[in-house]
Amino acid sequence: MTRLGGILVVLAAAAAVAAPFFLKPFGIFLLSTWAVLTIAVIGLNLTLGYAGQISLAQGAFVGIGAYTVALLTPAGVPFPLAFIAAGFLCFVIGWLLGYPALRVQHHYLAFVTLAFTTLVFLVLRNEEWLTNGIYGITGTARPNLLGWKTGGARDFYFLCLGTLALLSLATWWMLRSPWGRAFVALRENPVRALSLGLDTRRYTLMAFAIGSSLGGLAGALYAPLVQFIEPNSFSLGLSFNLLLMVIVGGSGNFFGPFVGTLIALLLPEWLRVTQGYYLIVYAAAVMVMMAFCPTGVLGLLERAVRALSRRKVTRAPALTGGAGP
Amino acid sequence: MTAVLEVSHMRKIFGGIVAVDDVSFEVRAGEILGIIGPNGSGKSTLFNCVLGQLQPSAGEVRIDGRPTTGTRPCDLNRLGVSRTFQLLQVFPQLSVRDNLIVAGQEHQGSMTSRLFGRADAGLSGAAGRMIEFFRLSHLADEQAGSLSYGQQKLLDAAMAFMAGPRLVLLDEPAGGVNLTMLGQLRDRLQAYHAEENATFVVIEHQMEFVMALCTRVLVLAEGRIIAEGAPHDIRRNPAVIEAYLGH
Amino acid sequence: MASFIQLLVSGLATGAIYALIAVGFTLVWQTSQTINFAQGEFVMLPAFFVLAAMNSGAPFWLAAIIAIVLSALVLGILFKVVIVDPMLKYGVLPLVISTIALSLFLKESVKDFYSSQAQPFPTLVPAIDIHIFEAVVSTQSLAVLAVAIVTVGALKVLLDNTRLGRQMQATAQNATLARILGVPVRRMVLYTFLLNAVLVAVASILVSPIYLAKFTNGETLGIAAFIAAIIGGFNHVRGAILGGVILGVLDNLSAAYISSQYRGAFPLIILIVVILLRPQGLLGRVEERSV
Repeated sequence: MTRLGGILVVLAAAAAVAAPFFLKPFGIFLLSTWAVLTIAVIGLNLTLGYAGQISLAQGAFVGIGAYTVALLTPAGVPFPLAFIAAGFLCFVIGWLLGYPALRVQHHYLAFVTLAFTTLVFLVLRNEEWLTNGIYGITGTARPNLLGWKTGGARDFYFLCLGTLALLSLATWWMLRSPWGRAFVALRENPVRALSLGLDTRRYTLMAFAIGSSLGGLAGALYAPLVQFIEPNSFSLGLSFNLLLMVIVGGSGNFFGPFVGTLIALLLPEWLRVTQGYYLIVYAAAVMVMMAFCPTGVLGLLERAVRALSRRKVTRAPALTGGAGP
Repeated sequence: MTAVLEVSHMRKIFGGIVAVDDVSFEVRAGEILGIIGPNGSGKSTLFNCVLGQLQPSAGEVRIDGRPTTGTRPCDLNRLGVSRTFQLLQVFPQLSVRDNLIVAGQEHQGSMTSRLFGRADAGLSGAAGRMIEFFRLSHLADEQAGSLSYGQQKLLDAAMAFMAGPRLVLLDEPAGGVNLTMLGQLRDRLQAYHAEENATFVVIEHQMEFVMALCTRVLVLAEGRIIAEGAPHDIRRNPAVIEAYLGH
Repeated sequence: MASFIQLLVSGLATGAIYALIAVGFTLVWQTSQTINFAQGEFVMLPAFFVLAAMNSGAPFWLAAIIAIVLSALVLGILFKVVIVDPMLKYGVLPLVISTIALSLFLKESVKDFYSSQAQPFPTLVPAIDIHIFEAVVSTQSLAVLAVAIVTVGALKVLLDNTRLGRQMQATAQNATLARILGVPVRRMVLYTFLLNAVLVAVASILVSPIYLAKFTNGETLGIAAFIAAIIGGFNHVRGAILGGVILGVLDNLSAAYISSQYRGAFPLIILIVVILLRPQGLLGRVEERSV
């Protein structure tokens, strides 16, 4: 990471910590939503940006995580345990889904996850004895962690932010390990990777399973955040939205999810002038972006920075006396 | 003594076209076998069938006597088989050093040890030695994508050797490389062969390269072996000359 | 027995529609590596072309023709030139994502610019019930079946018995080889897109009387197309037809014996089962690993 990038990250982190003191409750709620959804988008970024697979089920995993917590905590399970259960359950389901689908090529995972999302929706809607069907589940309690009551908007925001920070760090650490190198190899040249002994299928499966479990963990925070969950919230629309957030931010870029989610959440506010046509504008923007800069907003910024620094270099020779790059 | 590589009655049919037609040969330890032949004679298809990239229509492959027909390339690699490619050789966004570490990291430990172990999988030293061996030291931290074509070919070979394979299949290593680089490439291949007593199988078009490097040569035409022997004998074989001139 | 025949007929009718959608989808994928995730919305849209034309005073038969032509222009040529061609150089993944965005775009556009309510759609023939062996069969089902069979038949004649069709097939199976043999590959690819546009338009006109024209139709129809294509064997046109018919029949039969709440789940479960047990589908070949 460049020095400029490092400074920007520190500034952004400081802003994230300071913001709730300057915002009204709705603003804090929006920020909390950003934090929670970014976790899901980080997961999807792993699947798509690093392993190159399209998952249309991330919304369903958020839903599974949300319902897991919404059902376990009133039954007396402490939140941290329910949280871990949500993540673990989604990891296992992700593995089971991905194992057969990734044996074949042709992006079968996209179709399987599409079917899975619809199936999950049907189960959530129909199994009223468990999920309360279309009436949803209200009032999932915000946890009391070792005396820290997170009921208030600001406190819960810090819980979300803290969890985001923790999970981001864990993902960062994973990407710095040989696994991260394997993911890049897998993405850049899968044929070569395979011939070097890299089990592309297993790495892809792991990326998908971990990505899905991050979706579940996001869902676990989503339930106490919005305090009313129902099957429609987790349908294909959410999965599409999360996918677009990955793309807009910059797929395969570590900070892409943070930026993409922010843009996606603020867009309806900015596009208020378009009166609810924002989905059309959003979809159109993605198509345009795919055509001109598939690397997303951060990719665009990187290109701009590189172009600027190149110009600086060509202007320098007179000062460096021919030492040049 | 079992051959390192044994191919028996290999056939590969695409639709109506017989790309490889009943090919059988052996490669003994320490040999450098060259496979030559005009375009479309089935050399690359043969390689891909041996290496598990394609499923042969018939025939068997044995490595050290163990049947390996249709084994996945990554599993073959862990048995000590490695390859270089005609095209698509390196990981452009990774540095030269990282390219080599990737090439070696999947050979040791397990998925778990790779996740919780050192960031460089303990291979920085080995990568450094390989970089020096191939005279790429000044490029060690450059992005592989920014290297010249010839340098990428060297890196490709370095990556293939990273895991210390006993059998290396090289697919047109000299293709598109300028004369100076060619000399360096051949020199490094011979040095590696001498030091590690590895076995090579080389597909090539460039006659001089093959003659200088290989100890034995197979000639393929239209999917079949039409000649076999020492390089200078092959050169004068009328059937071989016919096959090349006829195209 | 009577109800079984009813279900069979309506199942074949639905299946024939699925087959049309799946064939176009498979052809486009084979010739240009385009996995068109917006295929469902491609089927949803032409019906609205028809309704718009009729609102402007055109009789149904004229509106249908206009819709087919518009479809060929927009979903065929425009789609290829504006979206597919510029994207292909980036690879399959960005293109798939674009079609996902496109499906959202089309769906929301219809919802916002036409209506979010389901619109009644004229049937091909007046819906009369006729009796065959004690079974009550709707003339509508028979008409759909007839048109679909004729279309599929015409398609097969085109693909197998005309020079154009054989060139398209050659392009689909091996574009490089086809080019060497003198087939104008780029034109063939264009024709494939046009063919798909016509097929989805026909399917749209056939299916909308049953489902009503609604902006959400694309979701179910799209999934049906993908499942049919996979069941038949992703790389096989004949398989897509077979897959569509099987799916239609099974879907209708299951409606009778499975609770309506899980009606939509049945095709999805078939999909997952097929991928688990026979990923190459019924007619496809086991795919070679990439070279």
